[in-house]
Amino acid sequence: MEKDLVEYIVKSLVDQPDEVSVNVIEGEKSTILELKVASDDVGKVIGKQGRIAKAIRTILSASATKSGKRAVLEILD
Amino acid sequence: MTKEFEGRTEQEAIAKAIDELHIEREDFDVEIVDSGRKGLFKKNMVKIRVHIGEDEEDQEDLPFIDDSYDDHFDDVVVSSQPLAPEGELEEQVVEFVATLLSKMGYPGTVTINFRKDHKLGLNIDSEFSSIIIGRKGKNLDAIQLLANVYAGQIDPDQKIIVDSENYRMRHEEQLIRLAYKTAEQVKRTGRSKLLEPMNPFERRLIHSALNDVDGVDTKSEGDGLYKQVRISCTRR
Repeated sequence: MEKDLVEYIVKSLVDQPDEVSVNVIEGEKSTILELKVASDDVGKVIGKQGRIAKAIRTILSASATKSGKRAVLEILD
Repeated sequence: MTKEFEGRTEQEAIAKAIDELHIEREDFDVEIVDSGRKGLFKKNMVKIRVHIGEDEEDQEDLPFIDDSYDDHFDDVVVSSQPLAPEGELEEQVVEFVATLLSKMGYPGTVTINFRKDHKLGLNIDSEFSSIIIGRKGKNLDAIQLLANVYAGQIDPDQKIIVDSENYRMRHEEQLIRLAYKTAEQVKRTGRSKLLEPMNPFERRLIHSALNDVDGVDTKSEGDGLYKQVRISCTRR
């Protein structure tokens, strides 16, 4: 499941895994995942020039093609 | 059965193989392990691998070329057997990638391909390898990036290379072939050509492949990580 996937990746990368939460909004054709992390960890999830965020999104959409639904990751700050 | 031969040219290497094995050219397949053109400063020997009879499985243990532009191909120790992870870092990184894959819904087996200095080569064996690699290796690159960030927390010097189905080497060969093909076109038509955006490693392969080709010049254009290489004609 997408929520589980994003949580696993993000918790592996941040300093404060307990502060990680993912809120899932199910739409008809797409799933929106809202990611919240500790404010000190935001940079760790986004990365230089958004490289890490981009990689997470790439993996997320590769995984989502299985269910045929689009998955969107939003990082809240 | 497979055997390796070296020569200054591909033909010379093939001739040596025929000589030594006493077989006809039709009786074996030749695979170019090292085209000899990748060296930045000196021309390497061409290394070929000769396949006699049917042994498809030998494709699996091709050496992994991680630094095509340096001359140290031979010290990358590649075992034909997948290696088991050793030590905390390797165990954790392998575990991370394996868990990531299964959570993506595409489970696979993660093994160690090679270890060299601070580089660790991982191989993913999975029935879903085509989607794990993705279009132009996009998914494989994303997995590799996350594996590197993850490993960087344990040891900042550690670099991880993630591969599946030998994609990285096949891709390198494909890029070099593209470089030669495009260079021929440019020479024929006299018009420069702009290649697709590529990352620094891919661009470097193109530049060094065409470094010793007369009549063409290469230049990177654009900004950011993904620039485009322009191949242009030097003769007017």
